[in-house]
Amino acid sequence: MLKVENLTKEFKGVTAVKDLSFSVEQGKIFGLLGPNGAGKTTTIRTIINVIKPTTGKIYFDDKPLTESFFNQVGYLPEERGLYKKSKVVDVILYLAEIKGMTIPDAKNKAQSWLRKFEIEHYRNKKIEELSKGNQQKVQFISAIIHEPKLLILDEPFSGFDPINQQFIKELILSLAKSGKIIILSTHQMETAERLCTDILLINKGLEICSGLLPNVKKTFGSNLIKIEYSGDGSFLNSLPEVKHIDNYSNYAEIQLEDNIYPHDFLRKIVPVIDIKYFSVIEPSLNKIFIDLIKQSPN
Amino acid sequence: MNKIFAVAKWEYLEKVKTKTFIISLILTPAIIIGFALAPTFLSGQSENSTKAIGIIDTSGLFINGVKDGLETYRIKNNQPTYLLINLTSRTQDQNELKSSADSAVISGQLDGYLLINYGGTDSVSVEYLSKNIGNYKDINNFDNTFNKVQLEIKLNEENINPKIAKYLSEKTEIKPKIIDGKGKESKPDFLTVFFTSFIFIILLMMMILSSGGMLIRNLVEEKSNRLIEILVSSCSPNQLLTGKVLGLSSLGLTQVIIWGVIGFALAGTSTIPGNAFNNIIPILIYFVLGFVFYTAIFVGIGSIVTTEQEAQQITSYLSLTLVLPIAISVPAIEHPDSLFVHILSYIPFTIPSIMILRFNIETIPFSEILVTLIIMIVSIYLAIVGSSKIFRIGILSYGKRPSIKELINWIRE
Repeated sequence: MLKVENLTKEFKGVTAVKDLSFSVEQGKIFGLLGPNGAGKTTTIRTIINVIKPTTGKIYFDDKPLTESFFNQVGYLPEERGLYKKSKVVDVILYLAEIKGMTIPDAKNKAQSWLRKFEIEHYRNKKIEELSKGNQQKVQFISAIIHEPKLLILDEPFSGFDPINQQFIKELILSLAKSGKIIILSTHQMETAERLCTDILLINKGLEICSGLLPNVKKTFGSNLIKIEYSGDGSFLNSLPEVKHIDNYSNYAEIQLEDNIYPHDFLRKIVPVIDIKYFSVIEPSLNKIFIDLIKQSPN
Repeated sequence: MNKIFAVAKWEYLEKVKTKTFIISLILTPAIIIGFALAPTFLSGQSENSTKAIGIIDTSGLFINGVKDGLETYRIKNNQPTYLLINLTSRTQDQNELKSSADSAVISGQLDGYLLINYGGTDSVSVEYLSKNIGNYKDINNFDNTFNKVQLEIKLNEENINPKIAKYLSEKTEIKPKIIDGKGKESKPDFLTVFFTSFIFIILLMMMILSSGGMLIRNLVEEKSNRLIEILVSSCSPNQLLTGKVLGLSSLGLTQVIIWGVIGFALAGTSTIPGNAFNNIIPILIYFVLGFVFYTAIFVGIGSIVTTEQEAQQITSYLSLTLVLPIAISVPAIEHPDSLFVHILSYIPFTIPSIMILRFNIETIPFSEILVTLIIMIVSIYLAIVGSSKIFRIGILSYGKRPSIKELINWIRE
């Protein structure tokens, strides 16, 4: 488990991150979200031990960070780039070696990852000879080749075409399934919505909201459902669970009372009318993000 | 420790394969040897073959003496340096002789000819005519020989005892020599000082500049594409710095070894004087210390640079401290005991080159060697400590270059 406690980082009087606390468990994908300049990169740099926090503590598996932690972190920075003049395989091996891998082990893993990413034939090419997308693949391999327990991905999808984005998504999910801790920092709210189990939204270095994604959505949702039915739906108008209703002949939009769960409500009405369609209208993460950032004090 | 080696290995292997390195490896000694030998080659080239020299002496007074005298000069394989051809003929006058000799020179049959105009007891002039001004050595030989012959003739005329005559015509040359502590003598000449001192100082300078330049460009690349963040999240800044210095030093060492092999192969041949390697061990020690010192400084300074332009700027500032010793080397050779040279012998930036220079022009007291070595080692230690502190912060700061005040704060932190 990764635990960040009361993290504050100041640069020459400017507070980049203030009193941030969160924890991420194994197998979870944690979305670190926020607008540009919110303090995401500073938070990440502090976690990977590149900069020291002004105050606050970071624990990994209940131990403070030490040098041995280096080998357990994989990091994909937002700004990509590798040694342009060097060979693909050499770069991967070097970055694996300074993560503490032995050369034969690194060679085997590199080979199998290059195959999985379908860039095996570029093995001995120079980085600069590769397309941008393929360079990204090489960098992604470098971030995961040493099987890190903690994987930090900053905008992992940028620069990939839809097919490769899909491939990366599946890869991230399977890495989480295998028990890794994944921190995902992105502006793509749809992606975050689909992948993340937990989120932390920050703005100007401060926490705006955090928690399990469904809970966050519930908090910011208005408990709105939409149904399509056949039969007499007039009884819906008088139910105590209903706060507000727009009822048409076979279609209704219903706002439930705050303490009512949509599935309980569904169970109640199913015996009475024939439900053809039921959906909970949740605010998208994108909407939550925009609303919250606009609301947050300057 | 493994990570340090991984970094060092990477830095070494990636750079040793670059075209820049291979070119500088071959080009640097080629340029240096070229510069060193150009004058020697130009003046010494013709010494490989006997020169055909005509001689016109209508008086007949000097011709035999000059001929005998000049034919004693020898080139390498004991061949005579000059082949004297008598162009004097009783049937032709001097103008006719001259014009036929001129055409022989122009057609290349003769390298040149000596024209002796004797107009009575005290009026004699000698000209050497050839297609170009002529080798200063040849002129010198002609000069010496003719004057000797002239003196002998005069002394003969005056009935001076031949023994005294011979004695008078002998010249004694003064040969400069230096004695080292063990009482060994050696003969310094320009080539020796050049090959032992200048060449090492120039090599040191070129090596520091080329590898320092590589290092800074490399750091700029790592910073601009954020690779540095991956590196620093994989190993500590100190491991990274040590690895880089180690890798570059091995690179430098590779260069020195290859250049050394070239040097030894040429040593003792006419190209490099045999005694050029007399002081090689102390010179190499100062050389290596100087290289490590400057590399450590380059790492620190390189880490605060963010663009290629800045990198070039800083490299040129640093190179000034390297050029200084070369600029003052001539006065230093002339006055090795001056206060100025002594002061420079205690400043870490100039210790290596000044000491390399001084080793070949004088005998340095052991105490001074010890003190300078201690200064160098302490300076290297301080440079590494200071650089690593600047490095730790510098590699992660982008944008504006820090001020001197900020740098001092970083070192104090």
